[in-house]
Amino acid sequence: MASSDKVPVPCPAISGEGNEPMGDPTKTTTAVLDKGTAMLQSMKPIKQMSLNMCSFACYSHDPGRHIEVHMYGHRVNQDFLQCAVYDSNSSKAHLIGIEYIVSEKVFESLSPDEQKLWHSHDYEIQMALLVTPRVPELVAKPELKNLAKSYGKFWCTWQIDRGDRLPLGVPSLMVSPQDVDLGRIKPELVKKRDEELGISTESLKPSREGICGPEKKNLIADYWVRFRKGVALDVVETDMKRTAPFP
Amino acid sequence: MEKAVHLSTKAGPEVPGEPTKTGTSMVDSAAAAVQSFTPINQIHQHLCAFHFYAYDMTRQVEAHHFCGHINEDMRQCLIYDGPDANARLIGLEYIVTEKLFMTLPDEEKKLWHTHEWEVKGGFLFMPGVPELVQRQDLEKVAKTYGKTYHFWQVDLGHELPIGLPNIMAAVTRDGQLYPEMVKETEKKYGISIDKERESRAYMTGPEHGIHPLANGGGKGLKLEVREVDLKPVESVPRVFV
Repeated sequence: MASSDKVPVPCPAISGEGNEPMGDPTKTTTAVLDKGTAMLQSMKPIKQMSLNMCSFACYSHDPGRHIEVHMYGHRVNQDFLQCAVYDSNSSKAHLIGIEYIVSEKVFESLSPDEQKLWHSHDYEIQMALLVTPRVPELVAKPELKNLAKSYGKFWCTWQIDRGDRLPLGVPSLMVSPQDVDLGRIKPELVKKRDEELGISTESLKPSREGICGPEKKNLIADYWVRFRKGVALDVVETDMKRTAPFP
Repeated sequence: MEKAVHLSTKAGPEVPGEPTKTGTSMVDSAAAAVQSFTPINQIHQHLCAFHFYAYDMTRQVEAHHFCGHINEDMRQCLIYDGPDANARLIGLEYIVTEKLFMTLPDEEKKLWHTHEWEVKGGFLFMPGVPELVQRQDLEKVAKTYGKTYHFWQVDLGHELPIGLPNIMAAVTRDGQLYPEMVKETEKKYGISIDKERESRAYMTGPEHGIHPLANGGGKGLKLEVREVDLKPVESVPRVFV
């Protein structure tokens, strides 16, 4: 069955024409109904998102594959953020996954098996690959300093970069840019991102000097760097524990 | 048959950590004021429903979906464990029309579940929206298929999102959901599922009926992890002079 590191069998979603998601444009009646009902609902959880970050991520089972990510995060407390991850910052952005970010303190409380699934953030912040659009560096600095010492866990559920026009397959574990062969982000991707946001990653680097990583760098995080092994998920059929007949 | 304790409908354990420091929260306030949140601004709808684990119907969770249309045929949703500011982001769901579902390969179809009974049974609703207005959209949702992953097992009392993702399933007939969990939700939102079921009797599911491969093809589905040897770096060919 489906695996995160295997290409799906040919189907319109991967071999069809175009690269927009499959489907007809949203009808006006739908949009009007949506907006109308939204006014009646409180939407509190999503209103908590207060931090937008743009960076890059790599597939754990193929770290040479890099993607641009746009994260919208809610800082729950000093030690934890929960972020929705999109492939762009436009109204047509695809929701491609979720990333959780924890402080060094919380990360060290996790079991080694769990730590294998997490990645560090110091390199991407020091290299200004991770940016906080529209927020001046000086203002962002306290948060960047926090994040540089943090660890993240990112599951990607839509392999847009593969050309998938629908979210196929099972989640992929993602890893962060690293200062090793496959982990250095392709310059053309950085250039494209910089042009989109009207920034220069290169000129942001000096402001990141002095930002330090974790007090004690964990040797299990970024597992692929040291052990040259990635992580893939497979879906298996099993007996469902039931309270009633299914389906 | 086992009965689970429904931690999902009670206030969960606090996420471990110190309260946000002033210096940090000032950055976040500044960010919130000047940054653009366009993708999040596309989210226009809050739907409440119940999910259970695709390999374990005894583990059931109240799931709050915050959805936006990518286009007429597809929605993408963030899933939280509650409707309040302190809700935990536990997963996501993609919702597609029958038209898109039918283009999927067979192996892919198994990962998707149907919404017909969730909607017709009255279990899926939009908090705060009058029933008559809800039905205008829900009659469309009844014909769709969804693919849901949860990343945080709040029903086990986990304080943090540890472990692997889980494929989630949706209710497909009466008798699957715990009555006390459903009653609690009815009370919280002031709704009557039985009453709403009567009003939704006119709705129909997918034109071609529920696809036999959907809902795991009737089997349980679980995700397992596997280590992968990474490709060696392509080395630059050496030139000997």
